[in-house]
Amino acid sequence: MKRPSLYLFVSLLLILSFVLASCAPTAVPATELPQASAPEATQSAAEAETITVIFPKHEADLSGAFESRIREFENQSGIKVELIQSDWDSVANRILPEISTGGSAYDVVEFDNGWVAEWCGAGWATPLNDFMPAGYTDGMIPGLVDLFSCPDKKVYGIVWNNDTRFFYYNAEKLAAAGFNEPPKTWDEFKQMGISAKEKDVVSYGMAPFWNQEWSLGNEFHFWTYAFGGEIVDEKGCFLFNKDPNTLAALQYMVDSMKDGVSNPAGMTYNQAASQDAFLKGDSLFMPQGIAGLMAYTKDASVSSVDGQIKVGLVPGARAGMSAALTLPEAYAIPAQSEHKEAAWKFIEFMTSRETNKALAQEIGVLPIWTDLYADADLTAKYPFWSEFQAQLSTARGLSKLTWYGDFVDISTAEVHKALAGEQTAQEALDNMASGLSQFECKP
Amino acid sequence: MKITRPRSRPVFDDPRTLGLLLIAPAMLAILGVVLLPMFNSLWLSFQQHDLSRPQEDAFVWLRNYADLLRDPRYLNSLQATFKFSLFSVLLELALGVAIAIILNQEFRGRGFVRGLMILPWAMPSIVNAAMWKWIYNADYGALNALLAQLHIIDHYQVWLAEPTTAMILIILANVWKETPFTVILILAALQTIPEDLYEASRVDGATEWQSFLGITLPLIMPVLMIAGLLQFIWGFQTFELIYIVTGGGPFSSTEMTNLRVYATTFRSLRFGYGAAMAYLTSLIIFIPAVVYIRSAYRKVVEV
Repeated sequence: MKRPSLYLFVSLLLILSFVLASCAPTAVPATELPQASAPEATQSAAEAETITVIFPKHEADLSGAFESRIREFENQSGIKVELIQSDWDSVANRILPEISTGGSAYDVVEFDNGWVAEWCGAGWATPLNDFMPAGYTDGMIPGLVDLFSCPDKKVYGIVWNNDTRFFYYNAEKLAAAGFNEPPKTWDEFKQMGISAKEKDVVSYGMAPFWNQEWSLGNEFHFWTYAFGGEIVDEKGCFLFNKDPNTLAALQYMVDSMKDGVSNPAGMTYNQAASQDAFLKGDSLFMPQGIAGLMAYTKDASVSSVDGQIKVGLVPGARAGMSAALTLPEAYAIPAQSEHKEAAWKFIEFMTSRETNKALAQEIGVLPIWTDLYADADLTAKYPFWSEFQAQLSTARGLSKLTWYGDFVDISTAEVHKALAGEQTAQEALDNMASGLSQFECKP
Repeated sequence: MKITRPRSRPVFDDPRTLGLLLIAPAMLAILGVVLLPMFNSLWLSFQQHDLSRPQEDAFVWLRNYADLLRDPRYLNSLQATFKFSLFSVLLELALGVAIAIILNQEFRGRGFVRGLMILPWAMPSIVNAAMWKWIYNADYGALNALLAQLHIIDHYQVWLAEPTTAMILIILANVWKETPFTVILILAALQTIPEDLYEASRVDGATEWQSFLGITLPLIMPVLMIAGLLQFIWGFQTFELIYIVTGGGPFSSTEMTNLRVYATTFRSLRFGYGAAMAYLTSLIIFIPAVVYIRSAYRKVVEV
């Protein structure tokens, strides 16, 4: 019976190891640290310090520019960085469960502007005012700092990706359709789109990204702002179902499908597919293009419109009116992080004026520091940033709601149904209000 | 008279005790990674646990379940999932039997074709979904190009913008991926049928169709039953295909329960409600599955 005895012994050993492992302390007590002279101990501790950083890959970062800067930070600080980069959805799926259940796996995390109200309410992030020098954010674009501030007036995130969206148009095709200036109003936009289509210059005025997914919530915000509408008031009370401008915005989206201004395939497009159609010259306008779009136009493998694209102001419901959507992403330190000082050093380095300029030069990242828009090196490389600057003053973020996830879930379904002509714009807004009724302000 | 007591045996000489001890590590692992999370999520399903509104957390007994039965989004997703799973299973079984019978014949290159057959099933779900997303693309998709070249359509269609077409297309994409599994199972069953039975039926003057109905189908029925049940359950578990190809659209018509659970739990961060949704869905599959297995098994035994 030697074999059963051996199996039994191994089984018992395994059980014992499980039990012992679960009883093991999570950290080595200070008294058990190897004794060393003070400077040596400090140095080895600093060398050993590792932080885990997770944020999405920047859409223009095809060359690994962010990772290069992170390795530079490691060399300068002696802090090791475990970097996790992926697409936004995957990053969100990892961060939200971890942070909301009090996990300490990450030291620096992606902080999306759509999450601010939820995180403020739940206390998931560390106030950065505890680490940053006084006046640290003074030279930053004020709107970006405000977007990541909680009601306690403290800053909880520093922007790493100033993802403001801009209005692009194909100037060559617009001229071929008989127009020398970009549209100033949405009526002109529609007229130009139909005219260009009739003259067979383009297939459609625009190819929107209106697939039923998270980004349709962004689109709903953009069109609402562009028509001067409101979604909620400062207290988070519903305005979307009462504001005539919000109704006008949704009605315009619906009509653009019926009138043939929008490519009907836009009902199934995500942002990449929409951009793809614009870069292939199939559509005349890209109302919400990323800041780095110009770089893509020069890439012959994806674009056939090099030299044809210009930047204009987003049209308004009437002349002189304009609005843009900004979807900035910040770095934040989770409340449970065990390496907050090192995490702040990382944020400070990555959002510094120098790093910001280097990334702007290398891959066209839009700066967060106001004075960089006047920087000679950058303006020489990106002359169209002067148009960007005019638009930036009109940029607004997403609604700050603790129930933003529910808002997107319900609004995208109802808006999509209206776009398909299955219900009116007013019905869509009423159904949104009904589906979200539990979050409406009580009188 | 001296009574000799039997010598007490070492504990590992008793097969029952030894068996229990040997499976203990595996049971411990199962308890840790399967049972505890399951009970934890069951407990969660009786609570309001909205991560972004912790001040509202409460034990709500069966309220989440009661709310689900009145939730139009959930009921819609249940209906869509049922439609998707049922039609997928029917097509997969019909195609599976037909393909397996062909692959059971002697022909040159049969081994190669059998190997090729498994390819869609072996392909990662995410790759499969991305591929179908491109095939169905309204502007550059292969489906539109093919149908236009065959003069079946005169202009490109936005296939995924219409609820019925979108549902049919994701069912077809699912059938393409899952049919090989059914084929393999049926092929294995076909190879166990003795050739003598067919020879006897031929002597009796039976046609090929009569042989199929009288011999093949009854003998592969147990396998068909298992394959159908597995595919039906897997239909309820489909996530990547829907998430990538339609995202649940147009206007939630292809939104399956898994996608609804995901949106509720990880987008709206309503963990209690999401857990109840997952449990209710499991219950809805489990009860008919048990009834089906029992009745189908009885019929097979009778045959």
